[in-house]
Amino acid sequence: MRETFRAITRSQAWRSVFRHGLPLSNRTRAEAVFYNFFLHVHPAKVRRRSLKFTYTWGLGGLSAGLFIVLVASGALLMLYYRPSVQQAYGDMKDLQFVVSSGQFLRNMHRWAAHAMVAMVFLHMLRVFYTGSYRPPKEFNWVIGVVLFVFTVLLSYTGYLLPWDQLAYWGISVGTNMARSVPFGLGERISFLLLGGNIVGENALVRFYVLHCFVLPVAAMVLMGIHFWRVRKDGGV
Amino acid sequence: MKPLRATFAIVAVLFLVVLAVSPLKDYLREWKKYQTGYNSLVAGLPQRVKPVDIGIRQVWVQKLDRVDRCVTCHLGVKEPALHAALEPYRTHPRIYHDVDDLGCTFCHEGQGAATEYRESVGNVKYWDRPILPRAYLEASCAKCHRENDVPGAPVLNLGRKLIRESNCAGCHRLEAYQKQWIPALDGIGEKVNRTWLVAWLKHPKAYAPSTKMPDFLLSDEEAGTLADFLLSFRTFPREAVLDPLPAALTSPGDAQKAKLVELGATKFREARCISCHPINGKGGYVAPELGKIASKVGEQWLYNYVKQPKRLQPGVLMPRYRFSPEELAGVVAYMESEFVDYDMEKPAPHTPDPGFYEKGRALFKKYSCGGCHGLPGMARAEETGPDLSAIGAKKLYEIDFGRSGIEQTLPSYLKTKLLTPHVFGESMKMPQFGFREDEAEAIAVALLGNTGDRIPPDLIVPATPQSAFAPQGEFGKLVDDLACLGCHVMNGRGRLVATDLSLEAGQARRTWIEGYFKIPYSLRPVLTERMPNLFLSDGEIKTLVDYMETSFIADTLEHAVPSDPTAAAIGRGLYYERYGCQSCHQIGAKGGYVGPPLDKLAVRLTPGWIFHWLKNPQGLKPGTIEPNNNLSDAEADALAAFLLSLK
Repeated sequence: MRETFRAITRSQAWRSVFRHGLPLSNRTRAEAVFYNFFLHVHPAKVRRRSLKFTYTWGLGGLSAGLFIVLVASGALLMLYYRPSVQQAYGDMKDLQFVVSSGQFLRNMHRWAAHAMVAMVFLHMLRVFYTGSYRPPKEFNWVIGVVLFVFTVLLSYTGYLLPWDQLAYWGISVGTNMARSVPFGLGERISFLLLGGNIVGENALVRFYVLHCFVLPVAAMVLMGIHFWRVRKDGGV
Repeated sequence: MKPLRATFAIVAVLFLVVLAVSPLKDYLREWKKYQTGYNSLVAGLPQRVKPVDIGIRQVWVQKLDRVDRCVTCHLGVKEPALHAALEPYRTHPRIYHDVDDLGCTFCHEGQGAATEYRESVGNVKYWDRPILPRAYLEASCAKCHRENDVPGAPVLNLGRKLIRESNCAGCHRLEAYQKQWIPALDGIGEKVNRTWLVAWLKHPKAYAPSTKMPDFLLSDEEAGTLADFLLSFRTFPREAVLDPLPAALTSPGDAQKAKLVELGATKFREARCISCHPINGKGGYVAPELGKIASKVGEQWLYNYVKQPKRLQPGVLMPRYRFSPEELAGVVAYMESEFVDYDMEKPAPHTPDPGFYEKGRALFKKYSCGGCHGLPGMARAEETGPDLSAIGAKKLYEIDFGRSGIEQTLPSYLKTKLLTPHVFGESMKMPQFGFREDEAEAIAVALLGNTGDRIPPDLIVPATPQSAFAPQGEFGKLVDDLACLGCHVMNGRGRLVATDLSLEAGQARRTWIEGYFKIPYSLRPVLTERMPNLFLSDGEIKTLVDYMETSFIADTLEHAVPSDPTAAAIGRGLYYERYGCQSCHQIGAKGGYVGPPLDKLAVRLTPGWIFHWLKNPQGLKPGTIEPNNNLSDAEADALAAFLLSLK
């Protein structure tokens, strides 16, 4: 058993992935953290009190976890959903009635989305009350606020995709609100969002692209910076 | 650290369970049970029926943009061996359409995409068109079938007929329905008395159970005011004035009056007024009740109306009888003495309320009387009721069920609305038509068909085109004066109470038609709607028959029937032995009662008609019950020769 283990850890393949030895000394332990993509965001040192669960409540981690759930279930939903006026509603019905575990996927995506909005908001609240926005973390607070806006926008853009009455009128109301932006900008914003003057095929495709590509990718980039900063500032 | 680990472990297990539920639910889908049930059912059948592979099945109808998965469980739809099986496996009843061609939900409604019973029936949130109950299924025929008589859809046809007759289009927007002829109210003040009018306005059906006039549930005060308003209209159209009554009617001696009434009774019978008018509920159905007419209309009006109906009511389908002045007075005297309502109160002197005109006018408008009745100086009310042209697609949340407590579905709403319009709220203006339950259902069916769905043009069976036939000249004047089109159809125009006359001269001999105008005996004396004697002059009869001889014929009916006795002898054999015609028809008072007697056929019918009738009866009169025996030409010739030899 030990022989096999030793043989594996000494093999060329293993050593090409893990370039340091087993974390037996302080040096190799530090190397393990520095060379590992997932571990390298960790801070060099952590204060004991910030490890306390009731200090963070794990809200940031929960938000990130829900984001992963959403990406995974969303990718699966994309396999069945087509953003066209003719097919969108029918595809949703197919997910409900025909696709194996399709309804489960939809529900998971939906509930995870609701939960993420709540978690991100609670996370913000926690950061505010623990005063974690104070220097030197003020920039990270700003990124966090932008991430919150992205979360809400993701939630909103996803609202149109089922292409039912609720979606249609939800988006009609929303874009009409955008229309009331002053200095003549409102009409332009609304036109830009809908790709026209009415909620139609163009609006559906735009919201689909925003929901499945633009916003998630932007959120992921910002989340990377957010996490990096948190770790470098000594958080978890 | 310990409690945290325990929590983590519990949550992890919980998540695993949640994850396992979904595949399990997937595995236990409802339709799988039905499919395995089907396979074990067909395995036990004596016939060979192929079992199905387990999996979702669907009908994709591209032209209607529908996917129907009903056939996932309704597996025996096209399998005749399962005609007695229980649902969901039973064979679909025979209809004209194929399930592969139109799918399921185009006719049945419901949610075709669903694979669960509850969802597919569609009585669920967020599905606006649930499955049509069986009694209302014919509604879907109306989506494509715009023709007059939809084959195999008796309920829909009845509903459409009732919508036309009840003149729903008078108040509601309803495509494809035209306003019916309803008497304008010109001169009503010269026609009826106030006592009758008030009672009529309050409960029309109490006076004439067969009337189409609905009950507006007016209060005594409303009925009185409306009556006063209406009675102020005393002028007739085109400035017609009532002729004075002749002396015979104004001041007859007793003996003279008895004679007059007796003459009138005879003429009333000869004219066969009851072919169209019911008298105390018995008689025809196309004209108003006459049982108590003398208590309704004034004598002078009645005299003038019978004399020249269209002078007082242009457009009315009442013939002008050619009575002599004495006969006319007799008929009026007879009606005045016979058709009296002895229960009615004597008309009392009455002074109308000073503001009666304005108040009455407001009531006339409020109840949209102008939707049906014309009144001089009042515009015809245009569609004061709700638009019904897409009522079949009305959403449940748009309906106010009030405190009716009925089942909350669109069909039940429509049916209840038709039966008792006022249960949904006191302020409803729709009157009570007094429909029977089956009639209300039929109308609801015809209305539910107005879905406003976009139908592919190649599926639409267009409305039967309206005939533009309008006879001209002397014949045209007579047709109008005698209201022939009130009972007969000519080249597609008219109301079919009696016969279609479009080929009359090709069917009947000239001498017979001429004689028939003089003495219109009936071929089937049991019928109520018999031809009246209009007392036409010889000149008028000649005009009518001359026109028929040139217009109501067809070259295709020409045929010479052999007149030799051998053919007739063969025909006799065919009549009695081969085809057993005597089981329905009589010759010499022997035979059945189903068809008309054939004794004097040769006097009535042309040889060509007899020949073609024998060859293909339905070709000449669609829907006749005379069987088509597929006779050869020689057989038809022989049989016709035999029938023509009976003189």
